[in-house]
Amino acid sequence: MQQEVVLAMLAKEPSHGYELRARLGRALGPVAEGISEGQMYVTLTRLEKGGYVARVDAPAERSDRKVYCLTPAGQERVTEWMSDVTWPRPDLTEFHMKLIAAAQSALADPVSIIDAQRRDLLRRLREIGRAVMEEQKDSDAALLLEGIVLRLQADLRWLQACEMAWTKRRTQQ
Amino acid sequence: MNTSPRVAINGSPTVLVHAKGLRKEYGSGEGLVRALDTVDLDVNRGEAVAVMGPSGCGKSTLLHLIGGLDRPSAGQLSVAGQRVDQLSERALAHLRRDEIGFVFQAFHLMDELTAQENVELPALLAGCTPSEARARATALLEEVDLADRSRHLPSMLSGGQRQCVAIARALANDPEIVLADEPTGNLDSASAFDVLRLLEALHAKGLTLVIVTHDERIATTADRLISMRDGAFVDETWLTGGSRGRLDTFADWERLT
Amino acid sequence: MKSKQSVMNQPRQARRARSVRGRALLLSRLVRRDIRHHLAQAILLIVAIAVATATLTMALALNGVTSHPYLVTRAATKGPDVVAYLTAASQAEPLIHASGVAASSGPYPVASAVLHFDGRTAGALIEGRSEASAGVDQPEVLSGSWLRPGGVVLERTFAEALGVGVGGRVILNGRSFEVAGIAVTAAQPPYPNLCWATAIVSLKIKGGFAQQFQGACANLNFSAEGPRSVGLVWMTEPDLLGLASKANPILDYALNIKLDDPDEAQAFADTHTFVPGQSNYPVLSTWEGIATADALLVSDERGVLTPGSILLALLSIASVAVLVGRRLSEYARRVGLLKAVGGTPALVAVTFLAENLVLAIFAAGIGLVAGWLAAPLLTNPGAALIGRAGAPSISPSTIVGVVGLAIAVALVASLVPAVRAARSSTVDAMNDVARPPRRRGILIRMSRKLPIPALFGLRLAARRPRRAVLSAANVAVTVTGIVAVIAFHADVNSKLSTASGLAAGGLSDPVVNRDEQMLVVITIMLVALAVLNALFTTWASVLDARRSSALMRALGARARQVSSGLVVAQALSALPGAIVGIPLGLGLFKATVKSGSLPPPLWLIATVIGTLVAMAALTVVPARIGSMQSIVEVLQSEAV
Repeated sequence: MQQEVVLAMLAKEPSHGYELRARLGRALGPVAEGISEGQMYVTLTRLEKGGYVARVDAPAERSDRKVYCLTPAGQERVTEWMSDVTWPRPDLTEFHMKLIAAAQSALADPVSIIDAQRRDLLRRLREIGRAVMEEQKDSDAALLLEGIVLRLQADLRWLQACEMAWTKRRTQQ
Repeated sequence: MNTSPRVAINGSPTVLVHAKGLRKEYGSGEGLVRALDTVDLDVNRGEAVAVMGPSGCGKSTLLHLIGGLDRPSAGQLSVAGQRVDQLSERALAHLRRDEIGFVFQAFHLMDELTAQENVELPALLAGCTPSEARARATALLEEVDLADRSRHLPSMLSGGQRQCVAIARALANDPEIVLADEPTGNLDSASAFDVLRLLEALHAKGLTLVIVTHDERIATTADRLISMRDGAFVDETWLTGGSRGRLDTFADWERLT
Repeated sequence: MKSKQSVMNQPRQARRARSVRGRALLLSRLVRRDIRHHLAQAILLIVAIAVATATLTMALALNGVTSHPYLVTRAATKGPDVVAYLTAASQAEPLIHASGVAASSGPYPVASAVLHFDGRTAGALIEGRSEASAGVDQPEVLSGSWLRPGGVVLERTFAEALGVGVGGRVILNGRSFEVAGIAVTAAQPPYPNLCWATAIVSLKIKGGFAQQFQGACANLNFSAEGPRSVGLVWMTEPDLLGLASKANPILDYALNIKLDDPDEAQAFADTHTFVPGQSNYPVLSTWEGIATADALLVSDERGVLTPGSILLALLSIASVAVLVGRRLSEYARRVGLLKAVGGTPALVAVTFLAENLVLAIFAAGIGLVAGWLAAPLLTNPGAALIGRAGAPSISPSTIVGVVGLAIAVALVASLVPAVRAARSSTVDAMNDVARPPRRRGILIRMSRKLPIPALFGLRLAARRPRRAVLSAANVAVTVTGIVAVIAFHADVNSKLSTASGLAAGGLSDPVVNRDEQMLVVITIMLVALAVLNALFTTWASVLDARRSSALMRALGARARQVSSGLVVAQALSALPGAIVGIPLGLGLFKATVKSGSLPPPLWLIATVIGTLVAMAALTVVPARIGSMQSIVEVLQSEAV
């Protein structure tokens, strides 16, 4: 669970771990399915250790229902993150190296690797497409899913270009 | 995932499109252009097949042949049980009218007719009485959520709405199969979405579809995805069957965990 | 998406009963909507066809326009069935007592004379009559009164041509007489065809006397072509005998015969005409022959109107073809669409033609009404007969002919595009794959050396050869018409000025007057249709070239160069058309007026130049307007 995300959610108000998980679920829709409460608590603990988050014991609550809140350091980190323009880099390098290594070592046929990856992406795209249908039209989750779809489309196009290039290389050999 | 095909009624074919060794060539000698190079294809009732490929790969040509809009240079082609390559012009026209619905990239609605009248067109051609045609058109426009725009001219409709009218028109004579040639090609993403939903819904009800598209999103709504290049099939992917993918893997992917 | 009552879930219907109503509704819908959508073009098409049909209606309405009035006149004047011209009064006896004769009047002496009035000169055929009423052929007096000593009665057409009224004084062979009255008769053809019946009957006589004239007509020196300047006068027998002299003998005797059976008139005439052994024999004319002579008044008109309407029909075909041609790609697209949703080739062709046919029939209706309204202007049977022709009857055959013409025009003009559209590949038609213009290497090389306007013009014309040919054809037909009309005018003028013509005597020629009237009408309609036609053609060409023009300007040509190029393109196709039109026009003229004199060559050259200038002028305006349009707008709009 990316730390900045949790910190930013706490910026609204101090919350329980399960509350944060619930809010995450509403914002991400089906994409949040794989994130458990446990993972949330792990992140919160790390943040506490780093001094960005403090635990506040609600006086009238049971001791295991801990409430977390931002520390000033945490607040600062959130503010910085808000104005940060770093864009997560799509990781094509790994796949690119996979193909080259396969070709150089004759371990596998690069074109087959590409086809397999392409099929997998197509299936993912299909699933995401269906999920989009089931979401409310203007919900937050729908917007996120839209972004994922577009990225998948871009990746698929790159895979198509890879396929043409690697097929050509194969016929030239 | 609903993949149960429609039950065959009274021996009506379950293989709606059967193409074997299909070829289409233009020109001759030095100027010979092979648009389709020996293509085999079978489409079952209730299936949705998507055909993708770069421009000039022959996917539109294939669709035009299946739709009876053009004649193959060689090979066999059966659509809804009839040998398209052997039919006369008149019989071909009847086939197009009764068994095939075509949806075009440019919509191709008649500009002087209202939406309602456009949808009635194939029904009237087929010999329905005016009242029958009107009833059917009204029902179809309801189906595509455009009942309130039935009296509008195409010029007063958005691109997405026009395409939905075109789809309703394609369904007018209850065809066995609907062919769509880049249905979202001229649409912005919002309208494309509406059309996508409509096609999905129709497919869910059991309509047989063959869609030519360059949009992966549309393509992945199909059961089967065929990739073409230079007039031939180069890949075929089944998108249905197998367990449902775990969306949680996206969480990994998007670096959320 | 409504999923409960989905149409898709309903069971497939069994084969529907074929309903004609559905298809009829579809067809009527398509036609109605398209007409409404392109109202201007529909109106232009209707106008183009209506002009041609109106002319044809008028031409056909002139059928038998004189026959009714002739019968009225015949009844009113107790007209004879046979009129005999005798060389001696004694020849009358056998005829009067011949079998089949019910009654007769005469023989009346006939003499020829020269008539002067108010500076005008004419020939006169004078019949000596009694003041009492005759049993057969008593002329109906329309103004004034019948004969009295010193008072003569003139035939009405003659009197009108002379310009003399009751109470005027005319000089006959030097003697002055008062005009007592003006009358009409059914026994003689009217001025100026007075001797016509005589001449025709002479021709029918066997034995080679075809060109010989009897008596008075011969005395006044006429040829078969020119018996014109003679009119009919009645005076008392004593007055006539007083006029006769050695120089002016009584040469003829007129005998009016009424038969038991009027239909036997021709047989009677044939039987009694030839008397063997005698060198002078009676000439008999029948009432049918006289009626025909009466109709000569309008025969020239019909002779002009019929080819005129054919010409206008050709022009309207050309106009419709241009109008249809403008929308070819749209038609092609619609045809492709109909084919794609399952229309058979037959249905597609029908939808294409139906609209134009509907408009054509509507135009035919308008033409019929317009022609019917305008015809009375032409169907005046003339002063020689009483009784109007009445409202011209539009007979069923007229209606069939006119509607047939309209349909033929629409079909011919739409046929080629219809066939082409129906046979084109559906896919190509729908995607509006334009036929790429053919590259002609020679022309391109030639044009390289020319200045920009000429280069542009030449390439434009070469891009669309069919359009250029159509344009040339339009001009050819127009010029043909104009040349024919000019030739007619020249002919009429020359007739008026020849010494042997009536104008020599100062009399007006009613036939020529009507000819001129006719010509004016035809000329106006021809010019109107020609201008419309030229406008269609030039406008269509300019629109066709819009994209090329915009491109040229985008590449740096000045607007004026571009519009000059368009004018050049137009002139290039107009010139051959104009040149071809001249011989065609002269041929048409010759074919209708057997013996006419040709117009002077200067006029013909002026026609060619005038046509070219007109075409150029008509191109300039749309070209300038077109060249002022925003380049971007044009290029973008074409791309959609």
